Amino acid sequence: MKKILKLAFTDFKLIFRDPSLKSFLVLPVIMFALIIWAVPPLLEKYDFLIPYLSLFLVVAVIENTQMFCFINTMVLIDEKESEVAKVYGVVPLSKLEYIVSRFLIPYLFTVVLNLILLFIQNICELSLVSILLISFLAALVVPVYALAVNSVVQNRMQGMVYVKAFNMLVLIPIAAFFVPEKFVHLFGIFPTHWVFQAIDNATQNLPVGLFAAVGFIFFLVLLWVVTRIFIRKHFA
Amino acid sequence: MIQVENLVFQYPGNDGPTLKGLDFSIAKGEIFGFLGPSGAGKSTAQKVLYKILEGYKGQVNIDGKNLSEWNNSYFERIGVGFELPNHYLKLTGKENLELFAAFYPNGKKHNSAELFEMVDLQDAMDKPVETYSKGMKMRLNFIRAIQHDPDILFFDEPTTGLDPVNAHKIKQHILDLKNQGKTIFVTTHSMETADGICDRVSFIVDGKLVLTDTPRNLKSSYGKEAVTVDLKGGKTEEFPLKDLGVNPQFLDFIKQGEVKRIHTLEATLEEVFIRVTGKSLDHE
Repeated sequence: MKKILKLAFTDFKLIFRDPSLKSFLVLPVIMFALIIWAVPPLLEKYDFLIPYLSLFLVVAVIENTQMFCFINTMVLIDEKESEVAKVYGVVPLSKLEYIVSRFLIPYLFTVVLNLILLFIQNICELSLVSILLISFLAALVVPVYALAVNSVVQNRMQGMVYVKAFNMLVLIPIAAFFVPEKFVHLFGIFPTHWVFQAIDNATQNLPVGLFAAVGFIFFLVLLWVVTRIFIRKHFA
Repeated sequence: MIQVENLVFQYPGNDGPTLKGLDFSIAKGEIFGFLGPSGAGKSTAQKVLYKILEGYKGQVNIDGKNLSEWNNSYFERIGVGFELPNHYLKLTGKENLELFAAFYPNGKKHNSAELFEMVDLQDAMDKPVETYSKGMKMRLNFIRAIQHDPDILFFDEPTTGLDPVNAHKIKQHILDLKNQGKTIFVTTHSMETADGICDRVSFIVDGKLVLTDTPRNLKSSYGKEAVTVDLKGGKTEEFPLKDLGVNPQFLDFIKQGEVKRIHTLEATLEEVFIRVTGKSLDHE
Protein backbone atom coordinates (compact mmCIF):
# COMPACT_ATOMS: atom_id res chain seq x y z
CA MET A 1 0.00 0.00 0.00
CA LYS A 2 2.92 2.31 0.82
CA LYS A 3 4.32 1.76 -2.69
CA ILE A 4 0.96 2.52 -4.30
CA LEU A 5 0.46 5.73 -2.32
CA LYS A 6 4.02 6.89 -2.97
CA LEU A 7 3.55 6.61 -6.71
CA ALA A 8 0.09 8.18 -6.64
CA PHE A 9 1.47 11.08 -4.58
CA THR A 10 4.33 11.50 -7.07
CA ASP A 11 1.81 11.77 -9.90
CA PHE A 12 0.20 14.72 -8.17
CA LYS A 13 3.59 16.38 -7.73
CA LEU A 14 4.23 15.92 -11.45
CA ILE A 15 0.82 17.37 -12.32
CA PHE A 16 1.24 20.44 -10.11
CA ARG A 17 4.74 21.14 -11.47
CA ASP A 18 3.62 21.01 -15.11
CA PRO A 19 1.64 24.14 -16.06
CA SER A 20 -0.11 22.46 -19.00
CA LEU A 21 -1.34 19.57 -16.85
CA LYS A 22 -2.19 21.79 -13.90
CA SER A 23 -4.46 23.93 -16.06
CA PHE A 24 -6.60 20.86 -16.83
CA LEU A 25 -7.59 20.65 -13.16
CA VAL A 26 -10.05 23.51 -13.69
CA LEU A 27 -12.01 21.55 -16.31
CA PRO A 28 -14.53 20.01 -13.84
CA VAL A 29 -15.12 23.40 -12.22
CA ILE A 30 -16.07 24.83 -15.61
CA MET A 31 -18.31 21.83 -16.22
CA PHE A 32 -20.06 22.28 -12.84
CA ALA A 33 -20.59 25.98 -13.53
CA LEU A 34 -22.10 25.27 -16.96
CA ILE A 35 -24.40 22.58 -15.60
CA ILE A 36 -25.61 24.73 -12.69
CA TRP A 37 -25.84 28.15 -14.29
CA ALA A 38 -25.88 27.82 -18.07
CA VAL A 39 -27.96 24.75 -18.92
CA PRO A 40 -31.15 25.38 -16.85
CA PRO A 41 -31.82 28.85 -18.35
CA LEU A 42 -31.24 27.40 -21.82
CA LEU A 43 -33.78 24.65 -21.21
CA GLU A 44 -36.23 27.20 -19.85
CA LYS A 45 -35.85 29.47 -22.83
CA TYR A 46 -35.77 26.86 -25.61
CA ASP A 47 -38.48 24.19 -25.18
CA PHE A 48 -37.21 22.15 -28.14
CA LEU A 49 -34.10 21.27 -26.11
CA ILE A 50 -36.07 19.41 -23.42
CA PRO A 51 -36.15 16.04 -25.27
CA TYR A 52 -32.37 16.27 -25.41
CA LEU A 53 -31.70 17.05 -21.78
CA SER A 54 -30.10 13.64 -21.29
CA LEU A 55 -27.56 14.73 -23.90
CA PHE A 56 -26.46 17.62 -21.70
CA LEU A 57 -25.79 15.15 -18.91
CA VAL A 58 -24.06 12.69 -21.23
CA VAL A 59 -21.66 15.38 -22.43
CA ALA A 60 -21.12 16.71 -18.91
CA VAL A 61 -20.36 13.27 -17.47
CA ILE A 62 -17.99 12.30 -20.27
CA GLU A 63 -16.20 15.65 -20.19
CA ASN A 64 -15.83 15.20 -16.44
CA THR A 65 -13.78 12.09 -17.14
CA GLN A 66 -11.58 13.87 -19.69
CA MET A 67 -9.50 15.72 -17.11
CA PHE A 68 -7.81 12.60 -15.77
CA CYS A 69 -7.91 10.93 -19.21
CA PHE A 70 -5.67 13.69 -20.53
CA ILE A 71 -3.53 14.12 -17.42
CA ASN A 72 -2.86 10.40 -16.93
CA THR A 73 -2.20 9.90 -20.63
CA MET A 74 0.38 12.69 -20.65
CA VAL A 75 2.08 11.58 -17.43
CA LEU A 76 2.52 8.09 -18.88
CA ILE A 77 3.72 9.40 -22.26
CA ASP A 78 6.30 11.59 -20.52
CA GLU A 79 7.40 8.59 -18.51
CA LYS A 80 7.88 6.58 -21.70
CA GLU A 81 9.56 9.40 -23.59
CA SER A 82 12.01 10.08 -20.77
CA GLU A 83 12.56 6.29 -20.40
CA VAL A 84 11.64 6.41 -16.70
CA ALA A 85 9.17 3.63 -17.56
CA LYS A 86 12.13 1.26 -17.92
CA VAL A 87 13.01 1.78 -14.26
CA TYR A 88 9.58 0.49 -13.22
CA GLY A 89 10.43 -2.69 -15.11
CA VAL A 90 13.32 -3.47 -12.75
CA VAL A 91 11.92 -2.59 -9.33
CA PRO A 92 10.01 -4.95 -7.02
CA LEU A 93 6.65 -3.52 -7.99
CA SER A 94 4.32 -5.89 -9.80
CA LYS A 95 2.73 -4.67 -12.99
CA LEU A 96 -0.67 -4.93 -11.31
CA GLU A 97 0.52 -2.73 -8.42
CA TYR A 98 1.85 -0.28 -10.98
CA ILE A 99 -1.49 -0.08 -12.81
CA VAL A 100 -3.44 0.21 -9.56
CA SER A 101 -1.12 2.92 -8.21
CA ARG A 102 -1.42 4.91 -11.42
CA PHE A 103 -5.20 4.69 -11.79
CA LEU A 104 -6.90 4.01 -8.46
CA ILE A 105 -6.74 7.61 -7.22
CA PRO A 106 -7.61 9.22 -10.61
CA TYR A 107 -10.48 6.71 -10.96
CA LEU A 108 -11.84 7.47 -7.49
CA PHE A 109 -11.40 11.21 -8.07
CA THR A 110 -13.38 10.95 -11.29
CA VAL A 111 -16.08 8.96 -9.51
CA VAL A 112 -16.32 11.74 -6.91
CA LEU A 113 -16.44 14.41 -9.63
CA ASN A 114 -19.26 12.53 -11.33
CA LEU A 115 -21.12 12.14 -8.03
CA ILE A 116 -20.80 15.88 -7.38
CA LEU A 117 -21.92 16.69 -10.91
CA LEU A 118 -24.94 14.39 -10.82
CA PHE A 119 -25.96 15.57 -7.34
CA ILE A 120 -25.64 19.29 -8.00
CA GLN A 121 -27.26 19.32 -11.44
CA ASN A 122 -30.86 20.48 -11.34
CA ILE A 123 -31.95 19.70 -14.86
CA CYS A 124 -33.55 16.34 -14.00
CA GLU A 125 -34.30 14.04 -11.08
CA LEU A 126 -31.98 11.05 -10.74
CA SER A 127 -32.21 8.17 -8.29
CA LEU A 128 -29.33 7.52 -5.90
CA VAL A 129 -28.72 4.08 -7.44
CA SER A 130 -28.54 5.59 -10.93
CA ILE A 131 -26.14 8.28 -9.78
CA LEU A 132 -23.86 5.71 -8.14
CA LEU A 133 -23.90 3.30 -11.09
CA ILE A 134 -23.30 6.03 -13.67
CA SER A 135 -20.51 7.61 -11.63
CA PHE A 136 -18.58 4.39 -11.12
CA LEU A 137 -19.19 3.21 -14.70
CA ALA A 138 -18.24 6.44 -16.49
CA ALA A 139 -15.03 6.82 -14.49
CA LEU A 140 -13.76 3.58 -16.04
CA VAL A 141 -13.14 5.62 -19.19
CA VAL A 142 -10.06 7.08 -17.47
CA PRO A 143 -7.85 3.96 -17.19
CA VAL A 144 -9.07 2.45 -20.46
CA TYR A 145 -8.41 5.69 -22.36
CA ALA A 146 -4.96 6.39 -20.87
CA LEU A 147 -3.77 2.79 -21.22
CA ALA A 148 -5.12 2.49 -24.77
CA VAL A 149 -3.41 5.70 -25.95
CA ASN A 150 -0.17 4.66 -24.26
CA SER A 151 -0.32 1.25 -25.88
CA VAL A 152 0.04 2.82 -29.32
CA VAL A 153 2.03 6.05 -28.97
CA GLN A 154 5.76 6.58 -28.56
CA ASN A 155 6.00 10.30 -27.82
CA ARG A 156 4.12 13.44 -26.84
CA MET A 157 3.44 14.54 -30.43
CA GLN A 158 1.82 11.23 -31.32
CA GLY A 159 0.05 11.38 -27.99
CA MET A 160 -1.63 14.70 -28.81
CA VAL A 161 -2.91 13.28 -32.12
CA TYR A 162 -4.29 10.15 -30.48
CA VAL A 163 -5.83 12.14 -27.63
CA LYS A 164 -7.83 14.10 -30.20
CA ALA A 165 -8.87 10.87 -31.93
CA PHE A 166 -9.86 9.20 -28.66
CA ASN A 167 -11.83 12.30 -27.60
CA MET A 168 -13.92 11.80 -30.71
CA LEU A 169 -14.21 8.06 -30.16
CA VAL A 170 -15.71 8.45 -26.69
CA LEU A 171 -18.31 10.87 -28.04
CA ILE A 172 -19.29 8.94 -31.19
CA PRO A 173 -22.11 7.00 -29.43
CA ILE A 174 -23.97 10.32 -29.02
CA ALA A 175 -25.04 9.62 -32.60
CA ALA A 176 -27.24 6.83 -31.20
CA PHE A 177 -29.62 9.54 -29.90
CA PHE A 178 -30.32 10.63 -33.47
CA VAL A 179 -30.91 7.32 -35.26
CA PRO A 180 -34.05 5.15 -35.44
CA GLU A 181 -34.66 2.98 -32.39
CA LYS A 182 -33.66 -0.27 -34.13
CA PHE A 183 -30.16 1.07 -34.93
CA VAL A 184 -29.41 2.52 -31.48
CA HIS A 185 -27.41 -0.42 -30.16
CA LEU A 186 -25.23 -0.64 -33.25
CA PHE A 187 -23.17 1.92 -31.35
CA GLY A 188 -22.70 -0.69 -28.63
CA ILE A 189 -19.28 -1.46 -30.09
CA PHE A 190 -18.17 1.74 -28.34
CA PRO A 191 -17.99 1.22 -24.58
CA THR A 192 -19.23 4.72 -23.78
CA HIS A 193 -22.49 3.90 -25.58
CA TRP A 194 -23.57 1.91 -22.50
CA VAL A 195 -22.78 4.83 -20.22
CA PHE A 196 -24.83 7.14 -22.43
CA GLN A 197 -27.77 4.75 -22.57
CA ALA A 198 -27.66 4.33 -18.79
CA ILE A 199 -27.77 8.13 -18.38
CA ASP A 200 -30.62 8.37 -20.89
CA ASN A 201 -32.65 5.81 -18.96
CA ALA A 202 -31.83 7.48 -15.66
CA THR A 203 -33.16 10.84 -16.89
CA GLN A 204 -36.45 9.09 -17.80
CA ASN A 205 -36.64 7.25 -14.48
CA LEU A 206 -36.18 3.93 -16.27
CA PRO A 207 -33.96 1.15 -14.86
CA VAL A 208 -30.24 1.57 -15.61
CA GLY A 209 -29.07 -1.80 -14.25
CA LEU A 210 -28.89 -3.66 -17.56
CA PHE A 211 -27.00 -0.97 -19.45
CA ALA A 212 -24.70 -0.45 -16.49
CA ALA A 213 -24.00 -4.19 -16.24
CA VAL A 214 -23.17 -4.47 -19.95
CA GLY A 215 -21.04 -1.33 -19.61
CA PHE A 216 -19.11 -2.64 -16.60
CA ILE A 217 -18.41 -5.97 -18.33
CA PHE A 218 -17.38 -4.21 -21.55
CA PHE A 219 -15.09 -1.76 -19.77
CA LEU A 220 -13.50 -4.41 -17.56
CA VAL A 221 -12.78 -6.71 -20.52
CA LEU A 222 -11.35 -3.76 -22.44
CA LEU A 223 -9.31 -2.75 -19.41
CA TRP A 224 -7.86 -6.25 -19.19
CA VAL A 225 -6.96 -6.24 -22.91
CA VAL A 226 -5.35 -2.78 -22.97
CA THR A 227 -3.52 -3.48 -19.71
CA ARG A 228 -1.89 -6.54 -21.27
CA ILE A 229 -0.83 -4.60 -24.36
CA PHE A 230 0.35 -1.67 -22.26
CA ILE A 231 2.47 -3.85 -19.97
CA ARG A 232 4.12 -5.49 -22.98
CA LYS A 233 5.05 -2.14 -24.51
CA HIS A 234 5.55 0.36 -21.71
CA PHE A 235 8.50 -1.05 -19.78
CA ALA A 236 10.70 -2.43 -22.58
CA MET B 1 25.96 -16.78 -9.55
CA ILE B 2 24.84 -16.25 -13.17
CA GLN B 3 24.92 -19.07 -15.74
CA VAL B 4 23.76 -18.55 -19.30
CA GLU B 5 23.59 -21.36 -21.84
CA ASN B 6 22.72 -21.07 -25.50
CA LEU B 7 20.81 -17.81 -25.05
CA VAL B 8 18.89 -16.85 -28.18
CA PHE B 9 16.65 -13.81 -28.44
CA GLN B 10 14.78 -12.35 -31.37
CA TYR B 11 12.87 -9.07 -31.23
CA PRO B 12 9.31 -9.41 -32.58
CA GLY B 13 9.22 -8.28 -36.19
CA ASN B 14 12.95 -8.76 -36.75
CA ASP B 15 14.18 -11.09 -39.48
CA GLY B 16 16.73 -12.87 -37.34
CA PRO B 17 17.81 -13.23 -33.73
CA THR B 18 19.79 -10.46 -32.00
CA LEU B 19 21.41 -12.97 -29.64
CA LYS B 20 22.61 -16.13 -31.35
CA GLY B 21 23.39 -18.69 -28.67
CA LEU B 22 25.39 -17.00 -25.93
CA ASP B 23 27.18 -19.09 -23.31
CA PHE B 24 28.79 -17.42 -20.32
CA SER B 25 28.86 -17.45 -16.56
CA ILE B 26 29.63 -14.83 -13.93
CA ALA B 27 30.96 -15.84 -10.53
CA LYS B 28 29.96 -14.14 -7.27
CA GLY B 29 32.12 -11.11 -6.67
CA GLU B 30 33.26 -10.92 -10.29
CA ILE B 31 33.07 -8.00 -12.70
CA PHE B 32 32.25 -9.43 -16.09
CA GLY B 33 32.13 -7.28 -19.19
CA PHE B 34 30.61 -7.49 -22.63
CA LEU B 35 32.81 -5.55 -24.99
CA GLY B 36 31.46 -4.87 -28.42
CA PRO B 37 30.30 -2.27 -30.90
CA SER B 38 26.85 -0.67 -30.89
CA GLY B 39 24.16 -3.08 -32.02
CA ALA B 40 26.16 -6.19 -31.13
CA GLY B 41 23.57 -7.36 -28.59
CA LYS B 42 25.24 -6.23 -25.34
CA SER B 43 22.25 -4.38 -23.93
CA THR B 44 19.81 -7.00 -25.20
CA ALA B 45 21.64 -9.69 -23.24
CA GLN B 46 21.43 -7.56 -20.11
CA LYS B 47 17.74 -6.87 -20.67
CA VAL B 48 17.05 -10.60 -20.78
CA LEU B 49 18.94 -11.01 -17.52
CA TYR B 50 17.05 -8.27 -15.74
CA LYS B 51 13.76 -9.64 -17.06
CA ILE B 52 12.69 -6.74 -19.25
CA LEU B 53 12.72 -8.99 -22.31
CA GLU B 54 10.82 -12.23 -22.31
CA GLY B 55 10.48 -14.94 -24.92
CA TYR B 56 14.12 -15.90 -25.03
CA LYS B 57 15.39 -19.42 -25.72
CA GLY B 58 18.11 -21.16 -23.76
CA GLN B 59 18.90 -21.49 -20.10
CA VAL B 60 19.47 -18.62 -17.68
CA ASN B 61 20.12 -19.48 -14.04
CA ILE B 62 20.61 -17.04 -11.21
CA ASP B 63 21.93 -18.64 -8.03
CA GLY B 64 21.03 -22.03 -9.48
CA LYS B 65 17.40 -21.07 -10.05
CA ASN B 66 15.91 -20.61 -13.49
CA LEU B 67 15.34 -16.94 -14.25
CA SER B 68 11.69 -17.57 -15.15
CA GLU B 69 11.08 -19.06 -11.69
CA TRP B 70 12.19 -15.90 -9.91
CA ASN B 71 9.29 -13.71 -8.78
CA ASN B 72 9.39 -10.01 -7.87
CA SER B 73 11.93 -10.72 -5.13
CA TYR B 74 14.51 -10.96 -7.94
CA PHE B 75 14.27 -7.20 -8.38
CA GLU B 76 15.22 -6.67 -4.74
CA ARG B 77 18.48 -8.49 -5.47
CA ILE B 78 19.44 -6.62 -8.63
CA GLY B 79 20.32 -3.05 -9.48
CA VAL B 80 20.33 -1.64 -12.99
CA GLY B 81 22.32 1.33 -14.23
CA PHE B 82 20.77 2.24 -17.57
CA GLU B 83 22.76 3.47 -20.55
CA LEU B 84 20.90 6.78 -20.76
CA PRO B 85 19.69 9.05 -17.98
CA ASN B 86 16.06 8.32 -17.16
CA HIS B 87 14.53 10.43 -14.42
CA TYR B 88 11.47 12.57 -13.77
CA LEU B 89 12.76 15.97 -14.86
CA LYS B 90 10.25 17.93 -12.77
CA LEU B 91 11.27 16.15 -9.57
CA THR B 92 14.45 16.87 -7.65
CA GLY B 93 17.29 14.38 -7.60
CA LYS B 94 16.37 13.43 -4.05
CA GLU B 95 12.69 12.99 -4.91
CA ASN B 96 13.64 10.75 -7.82
CA LEU B 97 15.86 8.63 -5.63
CA GLU B 98 13.36 8.38 -2.80
CA LEU B 99 10.49 7.48 -5.13
CA PHE B 100 12.26 4.36 -6.33
CA ALA B 101 13.69 3.62 -2.87
CA ALA B 102 10.11 3.27 -1.63
CA PHE B 103 9.70 0.07 -3.64
CA TYR B 104 12.39 -1.79 -1.67
CA PRO B 105 12.30 -3.18 1.86
CA ASN B 106 13.81 -0.86 4.46
CA GLY B 107 16.60 -2.99 5.95
CA LYS B 108 19.50 -2.58 3.53
CA LYS B 109 18.88 0.81 1.96
CA HIS B 110 21.70 3.36 1.84
CA ASN B 111 21.21 6.85 3.18
CA SER B 112 20.31 9.07 0.22
CA ALA B 113 22.39 12.06 1.38
CA GLU B 114 25.48 9.83 1.59
CA LEU B 115 24.83 8.52 -1.90
CA PHE B 116 24.59 12.04 -3.31
CA GLU B 117 27.80 12.94 -1.54
CA MET B 118 29.51 9.84 -2.89
CA VAL B 119 29.04 11.08 -6.47
CA ASP B 120 29.53 14.79 -5.66
CA LEU B 121 25.88 15.68 -6.18
CA GLN B 122 25.16 16.85 -2.63
CA ASP B 123 24.67 20.47 -3.74
CA ALA B 124 22.23 19.43 -6.47
CA MET B 125 20.11 16.90 -4.61
CA ASP B 126 17.28 19.37 -3.95
CA LYS B 127 17.28 20.83 -7.45
CA PRO B 128 14.99 19.62 -10.24
CA VAL B 129 16.66 17.07 -12.47
CA GLU B 130 15.82 19.23 -15.50
CA THR B 131 18.63 21.54 -14.32
CA TYR B 132 21.21 18.70 -14.25
CA SER B 133 23.86 18.12 -16.92
CA LYS B 134 24.00 14.73 -18.64
CA GLY B 135 26.92 13.70 -16.47
CA MET B 136 25.00 14.58 -13.31
CA LYS B 137 21.99 12.58 -14.51
CA MET B 138 24.27 9.61 -15.20
CA ARG B 139 25.66 9.81 -11.67
CA LEU B 140 22.08 9.87 -10.40
CA ASN B 141 21.46 6.74 -12.51
CA PHE B 142 24.39 5.11 -10.76
CA ILE B 143 23.30 5.82 -7.20
CA ARG B 144 19.72 4.81 -7.99
CA ALA B 145 21.04 1.42 -9.12
CA ILE B 146 22.94 0.79 -5.90
CA GLN B 147 20.72 2.50 -3.31
CA HIS B 148 19.05 -0.74 -2.13
CA ASP B 149 22.38 -2.58 -1.77
CA PRO B 150 21.69 -5.25 -4.42
CA ASP B 151 23.80 -8.42 -4.79
CA ILE B 152 23.86 -8.29 -8.58
CA LEU B 153 24.45 -5.15 -10.59
CA PHE B 154 23.98 -4.49 -14.27
CA PHE B 155 25.68 -1.43 -15.71
CA ASP B 156 25.07 -0.51 -19.32
CA GLU B 157 27.85 1.76 -20.56
CA PRO B 158 28.46 3.12 -17.03
CA THR B 159 30.92 5.84 -18.05
CA THR B 160 29.02 7.20 -21.05
CA GLY B 161 28.47 10.95 -20.81
CA LEU B 162 30.89 11.40 -17.92
CA ASP B 163 33.98 13.61 -17.90
CA PRO B 164 37.27 11.76 -17.29
CA VAL B 165 37.36 12.65 -13.58
CA ASN B 166 33.85 11.40 -12.88
CA ALA B 167 34.32 8.40 -15.18
CA HIS B 168 37.33 7.45 -13.07
CA LYS B 169 35.33 7.90 -9.85
CA ILE B 170 32.48 5.73 -11.11
CA LYS B 171 34.95 3.01 -12.14
CA GLN B 172 36.45 3.21 -8.66
CA HIS B 173 32.99 2.88 -7.08
CA ILE B 174 32.32 -0.18 -9.23
CA LEU B 175 35.58 -1.72 -8.02
CA ASP B 176 34.56 -0.93 -4.43
CA LEU B 177 31.28 -2.75 -5.03
CA LYS B 178 33.21 -5.76 -6.30
CA ASN B 179 35.29 -5.67 -3.11
CA GLN B 180 32.04 -5.80 -1.15
CA GLY B 181 31.26 -9.09 -2.94
CA LYS B 182 28.79 -7.77 -5.50
CA THR B 183 28.44 -9.58 -8.81
CA ILE B 184 28.66 -7.07 -11.62
CA PHE B 185 27.80 -7.35 -15.31
CA VAL B 186 29.01 -4.42 -17.39
CA THR B 187 28.46 -3.71 -21.06
CA THR B 188 30.68 -1.22 -22.76
CA HIS B 189 32.25 -0.26 -26.02
CA SER B 190 34.97 1.56 -24.08
CA MET B 191 38.17 -0.46 -24.06
CA GLU B 192 39.46 1.68 -21.22
CA THR B 193 36.45 0.93 -18.99
CA ALA B 194 36.62 -2.80 -19.72
CA ASP B 195 40.35 -2.90 -19.13
CA GLY B 196 40.13 -0.83 -15.98
CA ILE B 197 37.45 -2.71 -14.08
CA CYS B 198 36.61 -6.11 -15.59
CA ASP B 199 37.94 -9.39 -14.22
CA ARG B 200 36.93 -11.05 -17.48
CA VAL B 201 35.57 -9.74 -20.74
CA SER B 202 33.71 -11.31 -23.62
CA PHE B 203 33.91 -9.90 -27.12
CA ILE B 204 30.45 -9.78 -28.61
CA VAL B 205 29.85 -9.19 -32.30
CA ASP B 206 26.60 -9.65 -34.22
CA GLY B 207 24.98 -11.47 -31.31
CA LYS B 208 27.76 -13.99 -30.83
CA LEU B 209 30.50 -14.26 -28.21
CA VAL B 210 33.79 -14.50 -30.00
CA LEU B 211 36.25 -14.75 -27.13
CA THR B 212 36.22 -14.65 -23.32
CA ASP B 213 39.24 -14.14 -21.08
CA THR B 214 40.84 -11.77 -18.58
CA PRO B 215 41.96 -8.44 -20.07
CA ARG B 216 45.53 -9.25 -18.97
CA ASN B 217 45.58 -12.60 -20.79
CA LEU B 218 44.04 -11.12 -23.90
CA LYS B 219 46.51 -8.28 -24.05
CA SER B 220 49.53 -10.47 -23.45
CA SER B 221 48.52 -13.33 -25.71
CA TYR B 222 47.84 -11.01 -28.64
CA GLY B 223 50.80 -8.75 -27.94
CA LYS B 224 54.52 -9.36 -28.05
CA GLU B 225 56.34 -10.58 -24.93
CA ALA B 226 58.97 -7.90 -25.18
CA VAL B 227 59.88 -4.43 -23.98
CA THR B 228 60.97 -1.40 -25.90
CA VAL B 229 63.56 0.84 -24.30
CA ASP B 230 63.80 4.48 -25.42
CA LEU B 231 66.89 6.45 -24.48
CA LYS B 232 67.23 10.20 -24.39
CA GLY B 233 68.81 11.10 -27.68
CA GLY B 234 66.50 8.90 -29.69
CA LYS B 235 68.04 5.43 -29.48
CA THR B 236 65.39 2.69 -29.21
CA GLU B 237 65.73 -1.06 -28.92
CA GLU B 238 63.49 -4.03 -28.28
CA PHE B 239 64.30 -6.91 -25.88
CA PRO B 240 62.45 -10.15 -25.08
CA LEU B 241 60.77 -10.21 -21.65
CA LYS B 242 62.19 -13.65 -20.93
CA ASP B 243 65.26 -13.38 -18.66
CA LEU B 244 65.26 -9.63 -19.14
CA GLY B 245 67.05 -9.03 -15.83
CA VAL B 246 70.06 -11.13 -16.89
CA ASN B 247 70.05 -10.19 -20.59
CA PRO B 248 73.55 -8.66 -21.17
CA GLN B 249 72.42 -6.70 -24.30
CA PHE B 250 69.59 -5.11 -22.31
CA LEU B 251 71.86 -4.29 -19.36
CA ASP B 252 74.46 -2.81 -21.71
CA PHE B 253 71.88 -0.77 -23.57
CA ILE B 254 70.40 0.90 -20.51
CA LYS B 255 73.89 1.98 -19.47
CA GLN B 256 74.43 3.77 -22.81
CA GLY B 257 72.36 6.78 -21.85
CA GLU B 258 69.53 8.12 -19.73
CA VAL B 259 66.46 5.89 -20.02
CA LYS B 260 63.49 7.91 -21.22
CA ARG B 261 60.92 5.12 -21.30
CA ILE B 262 60.54 1.35 -20.99
CA HIS B 263 57.27 -0.12 -22.13
CA THR B 264 55.88 -3.58 -22.75
CA LEU B 265 54.57 -4.51 -26.17
CA GLU B 266 51.32 -6.08 -25.03
CA ALA B 267 48.35 -5.29 -27.24
CA THR B 268 45.57 -2.97 -26.12
CA LEU B 269 42.14 -4.54 -25.72
CA GLU B 270 40.98 -2.58 -28.72
CA GLU B 271 43.78 -4.02 -30.86
CA VAL B 272 42.92 -7.52 -29.66
CA PHE B 273 39.27 -6.89 -30.43
CA ILE B 274 40.04 -5.75 -33.96
CA ARG B 275 42.39 -8.67 -34.58
CA VAL B 276 39.93 -11.24 -33.25
CA THR B 277 36.72 -9.89 -34.75
CA GLY B 278 37.94 -7.92 -37.73
CA LYS B 279 35.73 -5.06 -36.54
CA SER B 280 36.30 -1.80 -34.77
CA LEU B 281 34.65 -1.00 -31.42
CA ASP B 282 33.22 2.18 -32.95
CA HIS B 283 31.51 0.14 -35.65
CA GLU B 284 27.79 1.06 -35.80
